[in-house]
Amino acid sequence: MADSQDRKWGMVVDIDRCTGCNGCVIACQSENNIPNNLEEHFNQRRAIQWIRIERYWEGEYPNVKARFIPVMCQQCGNAPCEPVCPVYATYHNNEGLNVQVYNRCIGTRFCANGCPYHVRFFNFWEPEWPDSLKNQLNPDVTVRSRGIMEKCSFCVQRIRRSTREADRDGVQVEDGDRGISPACVNACPTTSLTFGDFNDETSQVSIMKEEAMSNRGKKDGRGYRLLDNLGTETNVIYLKKVDESAGAVHGH
Amino acid sequence: MALTRRQFLTLMGGSAGAAVFFQACGIPEKELLIDSPIEMPEDLVTGIDNWYATSCRQCDTCEGIVVRVMEGRAKKIEGNSDYPINMGKHGPRCEAGLQGLYHPDRISAPLVRTGPRGSGEYREISWEDAIARLTNELQNLQDSGDEGQAVLVTNPIGAHHGLVADKFASTFGARRFTYEPLETSVVRKVVSDVFGQNAMPDFDIENSDYLLSFGADFLSTWVSPTRYSRGYGEFRQGHDHRGKMVHVDSRFSATAANADEWIRVNPGTEGMFALSVIQHAVSMGHVSDDVVNALTGGDSDWLSTYSPENVAQQVGVSAETITHVAEDFTHSDHPLAIGGGSAAAHSNGYSAVKAVFSLNHVAGNIGKKGGVILNPDSPVDGLAAAPAGNSFAEFQRLTEDMQAGAVKVLMVRGADLFYGLPDIAGFKGRSASVPMIVSFGGMMDDTTSMADLILPEHHYLEDWGTDVPLAGVGYEVVGFQQPVVRPFFEDRGENLGTKGFADVLLAASQVMEMDLGLNGETFKDVIRESARELYGLGRGSINASSFESFWNGVLQRGGWWDVNAKGPNTAEPARLDGVSSPVISGSGEFTLMPFASASLLDGRNASLPWMQAMPDPISTATWQTWVEINHKVAEDRGIKEGDVVTVSASGRSITALAMPNPATPPDAVSIPFGQGHRDGGRYSAGRGGNVLAILDAVHDQATGSLAWAANKVSVTPTGEWVRVPKFENTVPEFPRDEHNHVIELTSGDAH
Repeated sequence: MADSQDRKWGMVVDIDRCTGCNGCVIACQSENNIPNNLEEHFNQRRAIQWIRIERYWEGEYPNVKARFIPVMCQQCGNAPCEPVCPVYATYHNNEGLNVQVYNRCIGTRFCANGCPYHVRFFNFWEPEWPDSLKNQLNPDVTVRSRGIMEKCSFCVQRIRRSTREADRDGVQVEDGDRGISPACVNACPTTSLTFGDFNDETSQVSIMKEEAMSNRGKKDGRGYRLLDNLGTETNVIYLKKVDESAGAVHGH
Repeated sequence: MALTRRQFLTLMGGSAGAAVFFQACGIPEKELLIDSPIEMPEDLVTGIDNWYATSCRQCDTCEGIVVRVMEGRAKKIEGNSDYPINMGKHGPRCEAGLQGLYHPDRISAPLVRTGPRGSGEYREISWEDAIARLTNELQNLQDSGDEGQAVLVTNPIGAHHGLVADKFASTFGARRFTYEPLETSVVRKVVSDVFGQNAMPDFDIENSDYLLSFGADFLSTWVSPTRYSRGYGEFRQGHDHRGKMVHVDSRFSATAANADEWIRVNPGTEGMFALSVIQHAVSMGHVSDDVVNALTGGDSDWLSTYSPENVAQQVGVSAETITHVAEDFTHSDHPLAIGGGSAAAHSNGYSAVKAVFSLNHVAGNIGKKGGVILNPDSPVDGLAAAPAGNSFAEFQRLTEDMQAGAVKVLMVRGADLFYGLPDIAGFKGRSASVPMIVSFGGMMDDTTSMADLILPEHHYLEDWGTDVPLAGVGYEVVGFQQPVVRPFFEDRGENLGTKGFADVLLAASQVMEMDLGLNGETFKDVIRESARELYGLGRGSINASSFESFWNGVLQRGGWWDVNAKGPNTAEPARLDGVSSPVISGSGEFTLMPFASASLLDGRNASLPWMQAMPDPISTATWQTWVEINHKVAEDRGIKEGDVVTVSASGRSITALAMPNPATPPDAVSIPFGQGHRDGGRYSAGRGGNVLAILDAVHDQATGSLAWAANKVSVTPTGEWVRVPKFENTVPEFPRDEHNHVIELTSGDAH
């Protein structure tokens, strides 16, 4: 594993494995102190989910398909949310993460307007929990107050924790199961999500990315980026869903 | 302040210079490392976290979990990567255990009722008093020789919890019932007859290459979804050859959505489809004579009634579809068949699931890679996997006994009878004839809030226990559950707060001087004694030189297992039964296909806000009860999303919000189980409708269990409209055109 300066965190999402179970969604809410999404929050279209499962319909009964795709912050290399922030609350750190600094944020919501992936969420209310439920809150993660923008951080607190522990023990940080992994990756029962360092050629994500992207457009290249034509250079690589009945390659 | 032109130019020059200057320096590196205000200064000690292994009790199959504990509070649940069942993975329901532990509406002391039943008026009493009240009632029955008028009903519990409950009931002479709203007795009886197994076998989905499933929503809710999902991921992309999955179901479930092919059959005809696949395979000579003889009883002629041509019309598919599936199934290297769920919830459920599971005998995959892996018996005598629930027919007889005054003390643990039993059983009314209802509920669920005496139990993260897997992995496993935090209500003192269910039973039997034949005074002692037995075996995953280090080892790793102690490799096929036409009750124009909610299951998780807010995989709806209806049918009837409709079956009805979608068959509607609780805390009380309540009493003919998928209903708009709380459209849909694609597909031959 390379030094902190040279790391570039990324994720590979295999949508052929994803079943749309929402395991990642709940894991994220538990890890990141996301306020309870109450009924009225859904009705106002203001529910917060840093990672979400989108479901798309195709076709009509009986030849109907439902397709699932997990979408989280794509940690763009060329992020549309960053230059619009007047207070540098969102910026790029040197590990390739697109970072949100809560105590700088003044809530202009320009970043949310700029984000083509709609993965930024605004706290329209002061987050509330009954007292006893507050016992569950993760002490490593700030509770965001009203008027603050928030989004997926690739569980930066877990990255920091692993780094700190590795430094303490004088060992290299490992990615994968036993080392650094965001809550969603850790939970995913089908191993649809894989996390790691794209700058480390030996990491699993690098190998997967290399295999997926080098054969792009060819038959066995399954890799693609969401809304790639926007030039956002995302650090999340998706692997295409395999559909026996697709015949030819869709979507190109 | 007024600026002169000269002052302005000076200032501009200065700031431009400053900009160049700062640019050259770059932003200090430390600044760039700030990620959120979590990076502590070096002189601050970040909290030390401890991770404890235990067992999860959110689903039917216990998963091994590790819980992150800081400062005595549980913070996060993750899968235990050592534990054989889930191997570090976990599903969406698992994490919500934390919200059960810290639920604001937990009961913090024993309660005795002071107002009328259901009024919610209770008074706190001490544990000593509470246990005395229970034992007094029981001793009164004992004195009059009416021990059989005490009834203990629990959810399906196995291993030590089951052992203590069973011993308590049998030693006292009480009647013992196990209750589960969505009964598994059909599937369990079939598994026993077809595979000779007491508990569920393992399905090696990972190594299968052709998966044929019937009815069971095994990727979302059925038996052991995390384990099956893990296998599914590997089945898809873990090997060079991508597996193919065909799902035969009357509803478009989350599992159907993930299949390569969803074959919609008429409700209750899944078994005919399976039998027809067997018939075709037999007629083509793909099945060995021994198996054919065992399956048909020596004369295979009767099977021809179920030839694809003969059943196609009733099943609602073409004969070619069946033969095509049969050919693919028999010509695959590692075919596997799974079934249950709605396929088992019909009058022909037993014979249907029997046909489905017998497909594995046809494939000859028992004990083989990619097939059905059988489990050994439990390594400890007396410890067994949780049994299936008693059948609905048995519960109907129980309510008759209640009415006849033959039930004096009804003890309930983890079984929400007031919620889950369909109205036709008359349980609610007849409960008035039971003088004493005792609940061990830690929350005011619909049954606990009707109880006369409440002995609130620990949350499972505060309690001891063990688990013998409901669906094992092909070798011996015993999971260990330990308290990961001290009881939340500990500060209320020894005589208030909560206590473990098994510990209360042990304490009650000590008061009554009843010898349960168990070693140990407390539940922990009893478990330790069994652990000693495991230690005495001298094999398995924990290598220890003393019992104490063995005990620490099992608690640390969350269990004990022996990969070499495998189950049998073969099973004798059972003779198939003909699959009769399903009995469908009612005369409405739609078949009602209820389904277990992906988050609330049968309603047990309704009190947890994360579960209420979890979008359903298919509809993305949350917090409410919705009814899925085909969008074209809805349009014809002028029904739009959010219209409040009345769904009526045989004179009973609930209201639900219409949720049109393109996948619901035009002749059917679907409603999730799980909502419609009268009580259950602030997040579930009075929310949505309970579809269990309106079901008619249709039984599976072989087991008497409730055929919950066998009702016809009518759907009538009430004229009201409510916005459906759903996740869909919370964020705008991605643009979809030739340049922008969200879900890209590739053809199967790429792999």
